[in-house]
Amino acid sequence: MSRVITITSGKGGVGKTTTTANLGTSLAMQGAKVAVVDADIGLRNLDVVMGLENRIVYDLVDVIEGRCRLPQALIKDKHFPDLCLLPAAQTRDKDAVSKDDMIALSNQLRAEFDYVLFDSPAGIESGFRNAIAGADEVVIVTTPEVSAVRDADRIIGLCEAFEKGHPRLILNRLKPRMVSRGEMMSVEDVLQILAIDLLGVVPDDEAIVTATNRGEVAVLDRGSLAGRAFIDIARRIGGEQVPFMALEEQAGVIDRFFGMFGRRPRGSER
Amino acid sequence: MIDIGERALAEDQLAALLELMHQHGVRPESLASTARESRVSARAAGLAARPLARAPESEDRSEAAFAWRTVRSGQVIRHHGHVTVLGDVNAGGEIIAGGNVLVWGRLRGTVHAGALGDRKAVICALELAPTQLRIADLIARAPEGGAGRFPEVAFVENDQIGVEPWETYRK
Repeated sequence: MSRVITITSGKGGVGKTTTTANLGTSLAMQGAKVAVVDADIGLRNLDVVMGLENRIVYDLVDVIEGRCRLPQALIKDKHFPDLCLLPAAQTRDKDAVSKDDMIALSNQLRAEFDYVLFDSPAGIESGFRNAIAGADEVVIVTTPEVSAVRDADRIIGLCEAFEKGHPRLILNRLKPRMVSRGEMMSVEDVLQILAIDLLGVVPDDEAIVTATNRGEVAVLDRGSLAGRAFIDIARRIGGEQVPFMALEEQAGVIDRFFGMFGRRPRGSER
Repeated sequence: MIDIGERALAEDQLAALLELMHQHGVRPESLASTARESRVSARAAGLAARPLARAPESEDRSEAAFAWRTVRSGQVIRHHGHVTVLGDVNAGGEIIAGGNVLVWGRLRGTVHAGALGDRKAVICALELAPTQLRIADLIARAPEGGAGRFPEVAFVENDQIGVEPWETYRK
């Protein structure tokens, strides 16, 4: 039974695209056939993050407008042949597609893949509505900042209004040391406001930035704490019971230990 | 034609209404209402009166509205009577009620109680940490520093909105 999952957030810049790329790759690593779709038409990004930009010939709008067949537009990933990207058009805008187009596209992809992940644009307008139109499930990405949480709350309300079931939450870029100093919202603080199920917590990790800039995903970097968090999240999406990483405790212990020697392991908090 | 639903207007009330309408250049010829008193008043004022078979369907005519959910940012509950929410009202969420508002949860959003002018309306919540409170024509911001973790009541006292813990207020 294939599943169509839309990754969205309301606020921009919280890590939707990075999350989509990493989850797509993790699911493919676990042996699933996965399509990731860039639904941010006009602001194409997912291809860049996955390092596939130079392979694009056709895009999502070409498929919808019938200039090519779906398989022609799908780009195979560099590492996993069962992972495919459907890129967004860069020269068009959100009005180039309709809700019905997106539903039809999801159904076409559903027939070929186990998982179809839609990377939604920021905002609550047509781009977002199109991105969730064909989805069975919605995953909300937020960071522990009041503005991002406020927007996530708004988006959850809209998902309820569009009858998209109960969205699940990924809390991205948590800085455990700031939380333990009381300077950042904790996982509990965010959950208390949003009152939805937690799919996972991704610690802030510089390795994400360097990986993204190289067009690689963090889950392929064994040293990356964020990458490990994404792998866990993908397993939870697959239905496995995976315990949550004890981030706050871990940071505390590692800091204390390495603090004595004046250095810190890779992938931990700055 | 004026449609006043099921409101019962006495002669002097209707006269005041008509006076206001005349000032704005509106001269209604007839009135429709489910309330007999209103129709009697209308005839007395020289208007044609006709009964209204039923209240408009879309409007909830019950005294109180009840919501068992989280009222999220961007969502609004608007009701002419009392409003009870079993759940949190998040920042960016809004409740506008003609009567009292009771939030069995954390109130972080904006609430307007007694919105039709009733200064006796109160707002209570298990945790009162609102963005803004309004009762009738009065507005108050939440005090800086956040709420206590106990039930509180907001009410009007000396033309100001005050807040008190439920335990002392109830006495």
